[in-house]
Amino acid sequence: MADPTGPGRNPLEPIFSPQSVAVVGTTRVPGTVPFDIFHNILKDDFQGTIYPVSPSAKSIAGVKAYKYILDIPDPVDLAVIVFPSSVVKLAMEQCGQKGVKGVIIISAGFREVGPAGVQREQEIKDIARKYGISFIGPNCLGVINTDPAVHLNASFARRMPAEGNIGFLSQSGALCTAVLDYAHAKNIGFSKFVSFGNKADISDIDLMLSLKDDPATKVILMYLEEMTHGAAFVDAARRVIHEAGKPVLVLKSGRTSQGASAAASHTGSLAASDEIVDAALRQAGVIRCQTVEEMFNNAIALAYQPLPKGRRVAIITNAGGPGVLTTDAAIHERLELAAFSDKTRDIFKRSLPVTANIKNPVDVIGDARADRYRVAMGSALADENVDGALVILTPQSMTDIDTIAEEVCNVAAAHDKPTYCSFMGETDVASGIAILQRRNIPHYILPESMCRAFARAHDFRTEKGRRLTPAAQFADVDPPAARQLLDAAIASGRTYLTPSDAMKVLEAYRLPILQSAVAQSAEEAARVAAAIGFPVAMKVESDDVVHKFDVGAVVLGVDTPAAAAAAYATILANVKAHQSGARVHGVFVQRMAGAGDEVILGVKRDPAFGAVVMFGLGGLFVEIFRDVAFRIAPIPLEHIREMMHEVKAFPILTGARGRPHRDTAAVEECLQRLSQLVVDCPQIQELDINPLIVHTQGDGCAVTDARILVASP
Amino acid sequence: MDRSEIQNRVTSVVASVLGIDPAEVLPASNFVFDLGADSLKSVELVAGFEEEFDIDLDEDKAREVQTVEGAVDFIAQYVK
Repeated sequence: MADPTGPGRNPLEPIFSPQSVAVVGTTRVPGTVPFDIFHNILKDDFQGTIYPVSPSAKSIAGVKAYKYILDIPDPVDLAVIVFPSSVVKLAMEQCGQKGVKGVIIISAGFREVGPAGVQREQEIKDIARKYGISFIGPNCLGVINTDPAVHLNASFARRMPAEGNIGFLSQSGALCTAVLDYAHAKNIGFSKFVSFGNKADISDIDLMLSLKDDPATKVILMYLEEMTHGAAFVDAARRVIHEAGKPVLVLKSGRTSQGASAAASHTGSLAASDEIVDAALRQAGVIRCQTVEEMFNNAIALAYQPLPKGRRVAIITNAGGPGVLTTDAAIHERLELAAFSDKTRDIFKRSLPVTANIKNPVDVIGDARADRYRVAMGSALADENVDGALVILTPQSMTDIDTIAEEVCNVAAAHDKPTYCSFMGETDVASGIAILQRRNIPHYILPESMCRAFARAHDFRTEKGRRLTPAAQFADVDPPAARQLLDAAIASGRTYLTPSDAMKVLEAYRLPILQSAVAQSAEEAARVAAAIGFPVAMKVESDDVVHKFDVGAVVLGVDTPAAAAAAYATILANVKAHQSGARVHGVFVQRMAGAGDEVILGVKRDPAFGAVVMFGLGGLFVEIFRDVAFRIAPIPLEHIREMMHEVKAFPILTGARGRPHRDTAAVEECLQRLSQLVVDCPQIQELDINPLIVHTQGDGCAVTDARILVASP
Repeated sequence: MDRSEIQNRVTSVVASVLGIDPAEVLPASNFVFDLGADSLKSVELVAGFEEEFDIDLDEDKAREVQTVEGAVDFIAQYVK
């Protein structure tokens, strides 16, 4: 599909805002998809003209039916195809002949059913391309647009949602119906509601970019089961967030790590697909949610209330215990309890009972009525030290719940700071909650959810105002030299670079390698080691020996010429004993690094996201705790710093418990250079620098071992 | 049985099962797209052909037949 934000006509316009709709393949049988789609459009008051197209019926629900779409005398903007998959191509062909530019294919039986379905899907794509048709689906629930000027429910959902400012895009049609039911119960409205199914033409990315420019949509929610074009998704999400200032919330299923176990390198096995998705979404500024409930908890905060300018909250409660619970939750989410100004405290003193707690959380006492909430909320929100109010209510015998709810809404409306509520309970507070929901005050059953939503809303405000520096482009690098080594390895049928070639590739990007040479004999090993300076590390120089430690092909701490000669012989003997067919080109002799902490830097090329860069501390931290962080290259410096800080053991490098402060700036530069290397050299499939020894601050770091897996890009 | 007789009897069965005028049943007509056969009617059509021609059709292959012309060709393989 063409870029919906590009010049010319928006290809989604006929789908979202058609003047006329034909339902192609409908029937007279209520309770079937073909009938219910037509009936939904009809009963939900579509503002345009609707035409049933049925090969056998003369009319549907009292509306004259046409045998073919070509028989309709007037132009048709949108066709909703509900025929069985075997004849969708016939319907599609006629849509093209009719000049229809937008199609929704509800029918299942395409890519999702196997090879025959893949072929059917390709046939309809070919027809669409021939006629310039944009289509949603196949295998979807349909499309809903609540705009009163359109009011289109081209779906087989049970109900048309209320108008709202949340756009919902889903790969699962079944989840859509559950979400509509959930949202109805909570009085949550939508601007656009799209089940995009197999996304054979219009993709999730096209739809997201369309909602970016949709004035009715303030917040975009997405349910995804796959991210086949991950890098493009990340770019599009960044545009939505930074150009339009709209938050994107993603619920992504499929948190398995299939395939990771087959990867050969550390980075390959650690970078499971879901961790890459997680890193990519974080890098894009997307708010990833784990459940439907969490997604809507965050969405109503972002959609209904001003974004918090800071993390300082005022907690107002009529109950001590819930106030403490909310405080705990707030601190857990790194929110701060606002310190009220003297003026605010004076008002509290004058207006609240002497038994009230006028510090934060403000306890207006169990017998509080609406007046106390009004004073406490109003004063708190007017205080310049407060960024938002979290209002708690528990239902005592004298608590006038509905009046308090109305008052909370009134006070909130008078301030440009966010107010979120938690009326705790279920039956007694139900009517109050309904008032809050009706007046767009975010309500949460649990204070924990409320605090989390506040934190995410503040995070989003920070993210959308953030301007990242472009990823570093060092001028002192030598891309042709690196590419030549990588291409030569591929041309000679090698999968891995030899140790010396791997070091040369890193050297071409000015990564801090240690002095080294390859020896072809024991005598040369002794001579080379002496020239480099003792102690040295020695390892086999081979195309085939990947796990060198496992076959005894590495000797560390070699400190005399005689020991170097002996190590040479030992290494070759061990390789011969354990991997006799391996191609061996000698022994790689390398200066031993000085003292420091070990970290691992890695790269894995992901089919959806491109080059994924990993950072972690070495040894146990990476092997046992999987304490690593990822970003997608190219990586801005801000994200390099963030990924380093995401690693739990990072304080080990920054002087924790009296340890020496290591040269983290040198690690940052290594990650920047690595990011540039893997963007420049698509031949690199996986890369481990393990370990990188990080010396004391100011002394830099050193690559002591590297492994590079290559393939034709 | 010659092809034109098969054609006539297929047309008759289709018109009867789908409740339409035989004149609407053309050789190129698609059972679903042109004649409005749903999945139940498709089963009834197969049963109707079997009864009309006193044959047992391979149901899996019968389901792949999309047009009247295709049905004539398919049935011709079963009748002498």
